[in-house]
Amino acid sequence: MGVRLLGIIGLVGVAAATAFGLFVVPADLNQGDAQRIMYPHVASAWLAYGSFGVTALASIGYLWKRDLRLDAIAVAGAEIGVIFTAFAIWGGMMWGRPVWGVFWQWEDPRLTTTALLLALYVGYLLFRRLTDDPARRAARAAVVGIVAAVDIPIVHFSVEWWRGLHQGPTIGSPDRVLNPSAPGQFIIALVGMVAAFTLVWLYLMIRRYQLARIEWQIEEHGRLGRISAARRKASVPTGGQPEGAR
Amino acid sequence: MSDVGFVIAAYGVILGGLGVYTVTLWRRLSSVREASLRIRREADAAPPPDRPV
Repeated sequence: MGVRLLGIIGLVGVAAATAFGLFVVPADLNQGDAQRIMYPHVASAWLAYGSFGVTALASIGYLWKRDLRLDAIAVAGAEIGVIFTAFAIWGGMMWGRPVWGVFWQWEDPRLTTTALLLALYVGYLLFRRLTDDPARRAARAAVVGIVAAVDIPIVHFSVEWWRGLHQGPTIGSPDRVLNPSAPGQFIIALVGMVAAFTLVWLYLMIRRYQLARIEWQIEEHGRLGRISAARRKASVPTGGQPEGAR
Repeated sequence: MSDVGFVIAAYGVILGGLGVYTVTLWRRLSSVREASLRIRREADAAPPPDRPV
């Protein structure tokens, strides 16, 4: 019941934040209506970082504790992180065309490292399909999940480390948290969208975690069934006549 | 395409995608829950294993 309520509140929150961002906040003086894309774009990007951060922490936890529940959290973070990264990239492209004049530019470090982040975690999800043994799969995937997380700070700080098309952080860097360069209404719309997306993200994380747990139980049941069937087959004599029959 | 067109495309795909993923997740979850229940019912209905001699 609590999870369902969380989902409903998240849904209402996203609807309200969308209405506020589209119809209440004025268009930007320079960017026009395209600036409205920033609200879901930034919210998606932050939640993508959060998701992959959860995957990395749960992966470290799994290697330490060997608890498959941590592996379920890791896979939930990776799958939902891939979804939100795709949203962030799509939103960025839709904003980039009217503002920059291009959908995409491979020379831009933020864009390229974000595409790499997406590829790394799609790879993580595909890598998990290579083995049926839950413990072995969890251990191997945990290593990939931790290594892939190295790209998260690279994506975030790429706009400060290298020059490219993508602008620097508006409120993301520590010195700009207290003095954001964007007007108040824009900040309210952005924070509102991030809050609403976070509720939906939390709901999806819980549901995806539940799915991973049940899938693992079914998989384990099937594996035990195959083992006992193999044992039964091995214990039953096949072919040939018993001794002393001739 | 006008700026508004890009805004509609961005919001449409992001919010639509979020909706599609949520519905897909519900379906996957209800499907595995059903499978899990079926396995439990089968396990309860199955005869007890033979005792080792």
